[in-house]
This record gives sequence, C-alpha cells and structure tokens, in this order.
Amino acid sequence: MKKKLISMLLAGTMVLSLAACGGGSADGGDAGDGEDAGAAEMGTSDDENTLTVAAWDPNFNIPALEAAAADYKENVNPDFVLDIKEQSGSSDVETAITTAASSGKYENLPDMVLFQDHWIQKYVADYPDAWQNVDDIDINWDDFYAEKLDYSTIDGVHYGVPVDGGTVIMAYRVDLLDEAGYSMDDMKGITWEKFIEVGKAVKEKTGKALLCMNSDGNDLMYMMLQAEGVSQFKDGKPDITGNDKVKEIVELVVEMVKEEILLLPNSWSDYTDKAIQGDQVAGVMNGNWIIPTIQAVEANNGKWEITTMPTLTGEEGYASNGGSSLYITANCKKTDLAKDFLAYTFGKSTVTYDNALKNGGVVSTYIPAGKSEVYNEGVAFFNDTPIYAQISEMGSHVQTIEQSPYHYTCREKLGAAVINIVNGGDVDEELKNAEDQLNFEMGN
Amino acid sequence: MEKKKGMSLLDKQSRAGWIFLAPATLMIAVMSFWPMFSAFLTSLKTGSSASMEWASPIFYNYTRMFADQLFLRSVGNTFLYLAIQVPIMLVLAILLAQLLNNKDLKLKGFFRTCVFLPCATALVSYSLIFKSLFATEGLINTVLVNLGILSENYNFLGNSTSAKAVIIIALIWRWTGYNMVFYLAGLQNIEYSVYEAAKIDGANGWKTFWGITVPLLKPTIIMTFIMSINGTLQLFDESVNLTNGGPAFSTITMSHYIYNNTFGTGVANFGYATAMAFFVFIMVGILALINMKVGDTRD
Repeated sequence: MKKKLISMLLAGTMVLSLAACGGGSADGGDAGDGEDAGAAEMGTSDDENTLTVAAWDPNFNIPALEAAAADYKENVNPDFVLDIKEQSGSSDVETAITTAASSGKYENLPDMVLFQDHWIQKYVADYPDAWQNVDDIDINWDDFYAEKLDYSTIDGVHYGVPVDGGTVIMAYRVDLLDEAGYSMDDMKGITWEKFIEVGKAVKEKTGKALLCMNSDGNDLMYMMLQAEGVSQFKDGKPDITGNDKVKEIVELVVEMVKEEILLLPNSWSDYTDKAIQGDQVAGVMNGNWIIPTIQAVEANNGKWEITTMPTLTGEEGYASNGGSSLYITANCKKTDLAKDFLAYTFGKSTVTYDNALKNGGVVSTYIPAGKSEVYNEGVAFFNDTPIYAQISEMGSHVQTIEQSPYHYTCREKLGAAVINIVNGGDVDEELKNAEDQLNFEMGN
Repeated sequence: MEKKKGMSLLDKQSRAGWIFLAPATLMIAVMSFWPMFSAFLTSLKTGSSASMEWASPIFYNYTRMFADQLFLRSVGNTFLYLAIQVPIMLVLAILLAQLLNNKDLKLKGFFRTCVFLPCATALVSYSLIFKSLFATEGLINTVLVNLGILSENYNFLGNSTSAKAVIIIALIWRWTGYNMVFYLAGLQNIEYSVYEAAKIDGANGWKTFWGITVPLLKPTIIMTFIMSINGTLQLFDESVNLTNGGPAFSTITMSHYIYNNTFGTGVANFGYATAMAFFVFIMVGILALINMKVGDTRD
C-alpha cells in the first residue's frame, strides 16, 4: 500500500514537471509580443503604434527614452507606445546585435537599438544589411555637434540619431585644490605640465591623486589626443609610432602614474566605486556621463566644479568620449513611424531633452537644447554652477578626428603599453608592439 | 533449423542494446558532433561574421595564430598555470586524502566536508571573492599591513607576477578538495589487510605510501591528471572575473582570448576564434594521449 502511494506521488510529480516544461517553452515562443515578456526578449511588436527599443541604463538612457516617448505621445500620436527592452548592460545590446546579424536572424532585433557611437562604424562595415539609414529624416543636422555626427555618418549617409553626448569634463574637488593653494581659475586652460605641478601639490597636501582611470579600459590617451585634434589612426591605418603626439601623451600618462598623481585602478568597478566614490581622488576626467557616479557621494555635495581639459599647449581642451545614438534596424517594418518619432523627439524637441536631463542626467548634443532654462540652472552638487550649459558649450568645440572600427582594440593595446612602460618597459618598443598588434588584428 | 526461424537470443539482446543506445547516440551526434563539424568549417572561413568566406589559403586562421603574439602569450600563461598549479594541487589532494582516510581520525565527515566545500561555490562567485580579498584595499592587504609584513597596500592584481600567483592560489583553493574526493574513493578501495601485511613486514609509513598507496591509486591519479590538464587548458572564469586578463594581458588564458575574439571585445571574429578553439582541442587530445600511454600498465 505504502509503495503504491509513493509511486503514485512520484508519477504525479513527474507529470507535473513535464507540464511545467511544456508551459515554459510555450511562453518562450511568443518572444517580444507583450510587455510582460522577459527583459532580455527583443523583437518587434505587431501593433502599428508600438515601437520597440533596446537600451540598458535605468538611471541614464532609459529615462531619456521615456521622456521622448511621453513627449511624442502627448504632442503627436496619443496611441503611441515605446516598448523599452531593458538590457542589463551595454554589452548585452552589442552581443544581441552581433548574434542577430551574424546569423542573419534580424527578427530577433527590436525596431531600434541604442548603443555607443564607437561601434557603428564596425557594425555598418560588418553587417551592412542590418541597418536602415536615416538620410531622409526630417532633422536639421546642423543643429548637432559635427563631431558627434561624424561617428554615425558613413560615406556621407546618416545612420543614427544622437541621444547623449560624451563631451569630456575635467571635474575638480575645489576644497582639495584650495588646500593645496589653487583655485578653479588656475586650472582653466593649463598645460599638462602645470597639471602635474598642481597634482604634486595636491598629493603632498591632501594625499589624494588628481586623476584616475581604470587600467583595463584606459580612455585617457584617446581623450588627451582628441583635445590636441589628433587621432590614433590615419587613412584607416594605426598612426602610433610615427605620431609624436601619441608618444608625448603616453609619456605624460606614465609620468603621472609614477608621480602617483594618476591612479590606475584595475577595473571599471574599482574606478567608480573605490577611486571616485571612495574619495581617493581630487579630479575626474571622462565623458559627462560620469557625473551621476560623482554625484552619488552625498558628503561631497557642493565641493566639485568642472572645467575644460588641460592640453599640451595650454589652450582649453575639448574632447568627447562615449555617448550613444539610436539606430533603426533592418527588422523595423514601421520605418516611417520610427523616423517621425526620432525626428520629433531627439531631432528637435527641447521638451524631450529637458526631461532627459532632469530624469536621467542625459546631456544632449543638440545645440539649441543647451539654451533652455533647465540647462542653465545651477547644480547644487557642483557648487551651484550651471554645469550642463557649460558642457553643452564645451561640446560645440570638440574637434572631429579620424574614427576607426578598431577604436576599442586600439584602446586595449595602448592601455597595455602604458602598464608595460610603467613597469619598466621602453616607450618606443612598447608603442611599436602596440602598433604591431593593432596592425595584426586589423589584418594590415 | 530452429535458428533460421527467428532471431537467436543473442541477436535479440544485441538488437535491444542498439535500440537503447540509439537515442543517446543520435543526440550526441546532433548536439555535439554536428556542431563540432560545422565549427571546423567555420574555422576555415574569414571575414565579417554576417558573410563569411572561405579563407585563402584555406588554413589561414591556423597559421595566423602562430604569428599572434597575444595568442602565444595566452598559451604560455595557460601552460604556466598548468605546470605550477596541477602538481601542487594533486600532491596536496593526495596528502589530504591520506590524512582523512585515517581510521582513528575523529570528526572525519566534518573535515572532509570542509575540504570539499570550495567545490560547491560557483566559479564566478569564488573568483569575485578572491578579487575582493586581494584588492588593494582588500582583506589580505589589511592583514599583511597590520602584521607589518607589508609597509603599504600592494596592488596584487595590478602586477603581472602577483596576479598570476593569485590565480594559482585561487585555483588550488577551488580544486584541491574536488580531486581529494577521487583519491579518498580510491583509497577506500584498497584493502586494509594489504597495509596490515606491510606493517607486519616492517614497512614504515613512507614506504607503504610509495609501495602500496601510489601504485594502487595509479588509475585514479591518471584520471585526476587528465581532468586537471583538461580543466586548466580550458581555464576561463578566473581569468575573466579575477583579473580580466590584466594587467596588460599578462594573465589572459587561451579560452579567455578566444572569447575576446568573439563576444568579449565585440569583434565577432568567429573564424579565427574557432580555429584557436580547435588548436586547444588538439592540445588537450595530445596531452591526454601522452598521459594514458605513460600510465598504461599493460605490457
């Protein structure tokens, strides 16, 4: 009797678990159909007023997209729905694109994707069929920074609509500078030599470094070179050993590391959590999307201010790092709706941009947006200075330099060269190695 | 005459055997061998992953890897881990097994659990724990500075030699218990009377260990060796999560480099990556073969 009971129970659970399996696969079948499909599900929607979009940051670009959707819904199409497919990180969006495009299964892509600008050159070169260009969209391209559009314009054809910019800010802790006997005015339009001098004083008086960057994704050289108007590429080939500016800047970076003015934490999380939020530094230089990271430390409220970057010559430096745009994929069947949405919102609406800034801290590359009231308000965390208007103004000065599909590969190799030189390697030799490896990967 | 009528019992049994085997064989063929074959075809192609073309010369991807400084470095790193970590780990495992096999030991179950417990942690989580332990502001640094062994916090994961050492320490911590379990099982298969006989003959502990334990454990030792070599050659999680291959690629492993060439750095270089994967596959095969030949007890 007992045996029978147990076997009945076992059989019962097996049937149940089988049923559960069946249910699971049935659920997986209607991917991207409804809003309650899993976060990772992409794809498009059958509804004619619904657009899907993949984005990743709930504190940054997702509020910006929500602001745009609300704007479009209120002023243009009351039935409009923007279905945001939230991903856990920007790399998830990149992986999704690579997978879908490599297999030719574009139906796994949403109508639009948001990703960082450095990728688009490679994506258009590798997967030309995965994108729909936006050349005929109703946008006055002159309203955007030329440098920003340079990424998403390939052979004169526009592929993307800019969302956020990566205008580089040089942020300093005013209180710590003051301790070392300097003010913000002393830091504006200075040479890197002067920066090192200040850095030494700050290190001596406060024990903190004046700059930091994670060593496994070292963007410093790219930003410093762009401020000089110099690229690491020339006519599609690496331009490292034959480029005096690269050597000069790599030597500066190495000197700063050796003087302990520049911290090189091992990873991105060490950079944000330990170096910046752990109060180890008196200065941060990166794309303006780093601002929310700085602002997370309540105790430093009112102590930060921003200005332009130092340069080799002592002129004010302007650069851009990161920033993303929206791209329409080949899977989008509602291209007209998508174009109309993009043109109305990120193409010209200051309402969208004001709310994107208020809710997500997203700073636009649309020049008229910088003139709005919201942009010109003082920000308490930054000592009541109107940093967003400042950033918007700085963005218009960034020089266009040659971009390459191998941007990240180059960053990887130069970053490794810096570590090797700091550990005693020879500058010329390490730069030669970096260039050789880059050439190797590019197949030159 | 009767035999021609139907199948013999043997035939019937053999047919039943094949029917039982068929589903699994079919699944292995479809899920494992077919992907391997098509991966091999991919490894002979180059170009954008959306429109791959046959490489010219056809083995371009295979010759390319020998000119790739980074790949060669990743091979070097992997073999360094292999050469240092596997012997230390296996010796430790066999010693621990010997200790825990002691008949008079109290709380045996408790100690065995303790040694085996690291294997219950996920690879990613233990890598992250080691990363935070050895961070510049981590526990190890705090302890060493407070004990006066270090004068200031040391960036273990920022220096190539110490970063490699941290990976090896982590691997030993994670896998020693796992191998110990195999040795324990092997030891329990050795009759106690054999040891007793040796004792009566006057053999000391050292002699019984080399004269009885090691020879009788030989099949287990060979198996753990093959498994460890195989595992180390495919080392991935530690390199990715503990050091991210850094500093300056000095701790990157082969599998990590292969991953970087596909999704890791987003370059989607699938042809080249699969070619490297086949190279690793061949190396594992050769090493396993050598191991089996060396350990072959038949004459």
